Amino acid sequence: MDQNDSTKARMAQIASVWNARALGLISEMDLKVEKAEAGGVEVRMPFNPDFCVDDEGTMLHGGILTALLDSAFGLANFLAIDNVATMATVDLRVEYLRPAQSRADVIVSAECYRQTRHVAFNSGRVWFDTPGLPEVARGFASFSIIRGETSMLDKLNTMGPGS
Amino acid sequence: MTLEELQAQCARVPFFRFIDFTITNADDDAIFASMEQSNRHIGNPVIGAFHGGITASFMEAIASVSVSRNWDILLPKPINLTIDYLRPALAGTLFTKATISKKGRRMASIETVAWQEDAKKPVAKGLFHFLLV
Repeated sequence: MDQNDSTKARMAQIASVWNARALGLISEMDLKVEKAEAGGVEVRMPFNPDFCVDDEGTMLHGGILTALLDSAFGLANFLAIDNVATMATVDLRVEYLRPAQSRADVIVSAECYRQTRHVAFNSGRVWFDTPGLPEVARGFASFSIIRGETSMLDKLNTMGPGS
Repeated sequence: MTLEELQAQCARVPFFRFIDFTITNADDDAIFASMEQSNRHIGNPVIGAFHGGITASFMEAIASVSVSRNWDILLPKPINLTIDYLRPALAGTLFTKATISKKGRRMASIETVAWQEDAKKPVAKGLFHFLLV
């Protein structure tokens, strides 16, 4: 395996452990990691009527887009930064550019565009998987990064379902 | 609007049923609510903490309730939000309070704070703008 392949394999491994959590909001959102690179991630969330503002399911609530951005930022940081033991969102800003009126899957792209020893800076965009539909939200975040040999993802990996 | 009426209005919103909170008090200045942690709220399974997006959604929901109550708009249009995460929100109950900072004709600015056992140790603060027209 050349270095490029091993990097890809490591990225895929991180993304899969991150997504295969035994419990929690990430599994409720039923996310599919479509791109997992140090330079950025793309994650797909299927339409879910539980996340809507109305029983007819015509519009998603903004809160789920905020949760999606926060999640994607976390994954982007795990991929972009070496030796992350754990991290915490310090600050999150979301702009709701237009009503999230669609039943299409939601795509979020997120990147860590700057990292220092203790801080990661993130930006992201959210849109529906429908050609021609403009983006519905943008987000920015700063994370506190705690570096160490044992990653939170390693702990998740050994927890197993329901533990 | 009574607490029961406010709660009934919230129960009509599927996403509010998903995050599942209770409005505990509403006076002229502020709305108070609580949310018990369940599995679907968890963001960090290692420490069993609430997902930051759930904390934000809870505060956004109560901020929008304070707008609907004061302006009689069922679902005010959210423009943007800023969340300051101060401490991990661990297993148990999360409380929040939403206060109106600015009551304009076109815009509303709402401030929220969330805490657990000790109201003097907030876990997060929020700032939300809504369009009223």
